[in-house]
Amino acid sequence: MSADQPGLLDHLFRRSYAKYLAILVKHFGPDKLELLEDALQDTFAHATHAWREQLPERPEAWLTTAAKRRTIDLLRRYSATTARHKRASTDQPLSATVEQLFLASEVADAELRMIFTVCHPSLKPQDQLAFALRCVSGFSGSEIASALLLKPDTVKKRLTRARATIRKRNIRFEVPTGSTLAKRMPRVLEVLYLIFNEGFHSASRERVVREELCGEAMRMCQQLLQATAIQDATGALTALMALMCFHAARLAAKVDDDGQLIDLKHQDRSKWHLPLVFRGNALMHEAVKRGSFSVYHYEAAIAAEHLRAESFAATDWTQIAGWYERLRTIAPSPMTDLSLAIVYIQNGNPVKSRQLLEGVELNALASRQYLYHGCWAEWHKAFGSSHDARQCLEKSLHAVVNEQERCYIQGKLDALG
Amino acid sequence: MKKFMLIFLGPDYPDLGLSPEQMQERMGKWQHWSEQMKAQRIEHDGKALHTNTVRRVTGPDRTVTDQAGSEIKELVGGYYIVSAKDYDAATQIAQGFPDYDLGNTVEIREVIDFSQGYPGT
Repeated sequence: MSADQPGLLDHLFRRSYAKYLAILVKHFGPDKLELLEDALQDTFAHATHAWREQLPERPEAWLTTAAKRRTIDLLRRYSATTARHKRASTDQPLSATVEQLFLASEVADAELRMIFTVCHPSLKPQDQLAFALRCVSGFSGSEIASALLLKPDTVKKRLTRARATIRKRNIRFEVPTGSTLAKRMPRVLEVLYLIFNEGFHSASRERVVREELCGEAMRMCQQLLQATAIQDATGALTALMALMCFHAARLAAKVDDDGQLIDLKHQDRSKWHLPLVFRGNALMHEAVKRGSFSVYHYEAAIAAEHLRAESFAATDWTQIAGWYERLRTIAPSPMTDLSLAIVYIQNGNPVKSRQLLEGVELNALASRQYLYHGCWAEWHKAFGSSHDARQCLEKSLHAVVNEQERCYIQGKLDALG
Repeated sequence: MKKFMLIFLGPDYPDLGLSPEQMQERMGKWQHWSEQMKAQRIEHDGKALHTNTVRRVTGPDRTVTDQAGSEIKELVGGYYIVSAKDYDAATQIAQGFPDYDLGNTVEIREVIDFSQGYPGT
């Protein structure tokens, strides 16, 4: 039995790390985060040494025992520092304290607290993604850098800043309740949504990077869904999970063997992963029963509509346009307008698509201005001249950064002849 | 058959900032190496060493100093003793060491076999 056999020890270290870290932070406090991370790192390094020759019979139990021993060390070291630990150490033996910390129900609770802590509104949004991957998913700095396409130094800065904010603001490691929970949920969902999108739209050529990011976002989402402390009153969480299922179903069909993007029109629909589609459908049925519709409801509805079509030609563009119109009313954004414009182009509506494109503020798109030019190119191709389409594609090519997308646009330009 | 000590030099995984996932991958590679040796009937035995603290006792005063492993340039992280015909064969075995890409080094030293008497006696 060897550890590089896929599935056998499926991310055992990463999963266990996340669990133990949450347990330790819950007990020792989030201000000791970095110290606890280091302590756990050592535990795993120890396992890699001990398991070099042979895996233990029950690897997970081995790790848990090692983590418990490590926790006892930490308790001894910090027992005098706070009253809480003092009480714990005088009332009962350390081993009993540790056993309690590692109870399954406690673990789930601690992991939930971790999600809310890394998504705390005091943290900067760009720091939250890196921080979540670090603390909830157990990624290293270099793994985060390659997943989010950032420089390792940038990641380091973001993590340091996030930890410092936690300390300075004295942020508590807890799951909020009542109206605070309702207020905090949108940010949590947004972070999960962004992590998922980083994976789904990743410029990385490695499929594994995409799958890991999407998988992590889905795992966190699933943890929230399973938590009894969270009532998804609005259905937004359920809808987000549905959306992720729908998108994830297309992940394998989205990139060819050489890492080149394949658009919706040319994807091999037989490669779509049906169990995820079914799961998404079931979740959607649940999500629409709750209160008001969120952006995730509409985005999931749009994704579902695409999945429903047997071919690109069979897509119900009118229905999709309807969902986009409603999405626009609750969350106007230039990206939604671009998407909707494309839908109207597909639906043969030159007037509405033109109106939308003309209404988009180019500067608001920042680094995604190439999409704006790309949309205009589509418009000219459908309703105008190929000369104008070519000009727009050249502008788009000029503005695009991502190599994969540059190839994609170049392909469109070549196809124009 | 002679015996050689393969000494593994370089920083430990946590000091290199490896994630749990990356450590798990490394472990798989070490197991692969060990299986390779077993398949080739190469006897091997060894230990990994704690790298947190390195204590040195030196000089006539037996001066004791403690250093963190991360402060030491060529930190010994562990060793194997393998059976091999000569240095070339031992080098061949050392090809399987998984951590060259991390910048780590294998030092190969022949173990003196006293049971054979001293060379030249």
